[in-house]
Amino acid sequence: MANTDHAVVTDHWMRAVPLLPSRTNRAMIAIVRIGVGLLWLQNVGWKTPPDFGRADPPDGLYLSTTYAVSHQVLAPYAWLVDRLVLPNFTFFAWMVLLVEAALGAFLLIGLVTRFWAVVGMVQTVVIMLSVLNAPHEWYWSYLLMLLVHMALFATAAGRYAGLDGVLRPSWQRSQSGLARLLAGVS
Amino acid sequence: MRTHDTLDRAALVLGLVSVVSAVFVFVHGTFQLVQIGAAGLVVALVLGLLAVVGGWLDERTLMLAAGGGFLIAAAVQLVLLQGGSSGFLGGNASTFSLWLALGVGLIAVGVAAVPEATEESVEVTG
Repeated sequence: MANTDHAVVTDHWMRAVPLLPSRTNRAMIAIVRIGVGLLWLQNVGWKTPPDFGRADPPDGLYLSTTYAVSHQVLAPYAWLVDRLVLPNFTFFAWMVLLVEAALGAFLLIGLVTRFWAVVGMVQTVVIMLSVLNAPHEWYWSYLLMLLVHMALFATAAGRYAGLDGVLRPSWQRSQSGLARLLAGVS
Repeated sequence: MRTHDTLDRAALVLGLVSVVSAVFVFVHGTFQLVQIGAAGLVVALVLGLLAVVGGWLDERTLMLAAGGGFLIAAAVQLVLLQGGSSGFLGGNASTFSLWLALGVGLIAVGVAAVPEATEESVEVTG
């Protein structure tokens, strides 16, 4: 009886599974991943060291960061930005540049994609908490960013026309801890 | 397709991406995904072609040389940005991101372990 139930459930599950092996589906997942990679890659371009827009009048990343305080979304985050981020702005600005440049780089080539999809979700939430209430912002654009990173994670998008798909078999064969970790986050 | 072939093809594609990125010398405004200057053009073409040849000839040394070159170019671009300008490479943080991608990708492909071909695996895949 149990075996029969299992067979029915499995059969139902197989029918419900989307057509990932389809060439069209794989191509579309790859296009989404590359598109999101290009989104980060292009938008890290307006983070301009060494002042990152900390001028009179403020501009660029500095102006966006101040929106977290002037148009607050979440009071504790606004407090954190006011007391910690803005007084140490140069350090945090460099961190933003490096994280977003790496997001663009790794999602573009599809390497360690599921890890970077999670980083993308976190960074999107940080951006949302800064600018969601700022003038002329469309909040759905940030929700879409969050959702698309979830999709990249759920589909392990780097395995389709990405380096994860090329390198993962050797990571899985390897006995080393690093290789197993890489296989786990790809 | 054998692992060897997929690694070579990956290096070849990464090289082609670099060569294609040279088009952004002529693209400005909204659709300028990456900023490439005159010296950056040389980096994109020379290292990109090196990666293409490395992939074409199945030559790991060339892949690693191209990957190392991209990482050095990315690091130099970052240092130049710290100085407050694009510097002689003429790029920006997007350029850094692209060259980081190509450098990391080519090195990952170049050092990837290729399984020893056994009689059985050659029969199946060859």
